[in-house]
Amino acid sequence: PGYDLFQVMKFRFCGDLDCPDWVLAEISILSKITSVKMKLLCNQVIQDLLQGSMDYAKVFKLTADAKYEISDVKAAIAALLFIFSSAAKYDVDSESLSSELQQLGLPKENSAALCKAYGDGHDKLQARFRQQSLRLSRFHSVDWRVDYVISSSEVKTVEEPCVQLKVNKLSDETGEVESTAFTLSPVKFRLLMSELKQAQMMMEAMSSS
Amino acid sequence: MLIVLGDEHKEHLGFLSTVDVEVVREFCRLAVEFLKKGVTTKVYQSASQKLGVDVETVQHGVEGLMYLMTECAKLMVSEIDFQDSVMVLGFPEELNAELLRLYLENRKEIRAILGELTMDLPHYHDLEWRLDVQLACRTLRHQTDPTVMLKLHTKDSGESAVQVLQTDPANLVHLTNSLDRALSELKTAHCRRIMRNIKS
Repeated sequence: PGYDLFQVMKFRFCGDLDCPDWVLAEISILSKITSVKMKLLCNQVIQDLLQGSMDYAKVFKLTADAKYEISDVKAAIAALLFIFSSAAKYDVDSESLSSELQQLGLPKENSAALCKAYGDGHDKLQARFRQQSLRLSRFHSVDWRVDYVISSSEVKTVEEPCVQLKVNKLSDETGEVESTAFTLSPVKFRLLMSELKQAQMMMEAMSSS
Repeated sequence: MLIVLGDEHKEHLGFLSTVDVEVVREFCRLAVEFLKKGVTTKVYQSASQKLGVDVETVQHGVEGLMYLMTECAKLMVSEIDFQDSVMVLGFPEELNAELLRLYLENRKEIRAILGELTMDLPHYHDLEWRLDVQLACRTLRHQTDPTVMLKLHTKDSGESAVQVLQTDPANLVHLTNSLDRALSELKTAHCRRIMRNIKS
């Protein structure tokens, strides 16, 4: 009966949805370690989310006291990764997260340690997730050159300036720089500049309001 | 179902009756390794040196054993049928019992490996999404056009492919409804009947 109640409840840190079954199952594993060890474990998990590096040797040492099997360690890490990323995603504050975790059965001290680590890392996590959000490609740099065309095979006297632009973009998939180069006549260039300036004004109006 | 062994196959397996049971066990282990990762000639050479025979004889022995095991595992040959098929080779009783034991021990693993060797189609790996609102463009200002950008990652026998798609909210709702309907097909009486029959 108590278990069924959890299924009906909606949790803010799960985006106002049910808590996934597997996370619920891992709460008992997370309850087994001391609150001090919990804080250190959370720091490792947050470090993994921010930088992709986790010191597994340290994690094994931390959980040895609670006699975690390898599967327990993996389960605990997975549950913590979910809790931190989901709570940051839905912008849950530390107090709400703490009360929701306690509702799931996590002891008060462990919950407090977890939420302290969450509170400390909240801004950094959100910044990192924002950075990882879907992007097709990113602007890298632009190179330009102004030339003066004197003559050509078509007509003897050209005497016109032109702009060479090379736009470099950083592809999100390959991580390499791809460039597109093109030439603009003075009229076209002025047109391009005025359109881009209009877009810039619009963006600035958006950010200020 | 009986396995009929070809003459060449019988010849290759004939070598197994001339060596110890321990060696047969080792050959079986090599055969399973072969399936999992492939085997280098070095392994054959060290085995042939230890036994004092040709490298080729060792190789044929291992390959013959592997073929016997995979064919039987593939067809889920029962114990009795396996024993009958192997009796044809005229091996001593002890060796027959050992081969049966090895077959039963490794059958599950061999079937798992064979399962992975089947043809693969591109399958779902990951889906990233983003909700945008188009506010203005060069030709039109003061818009509010919501769009959803999707990046679908698929994997096809190890190779990844990426598809970038864009949809508006109405189409997205339609898409999720279609997928929901597909999932709920599993719960219909027709599907349930078929699943029951497959399980038994």
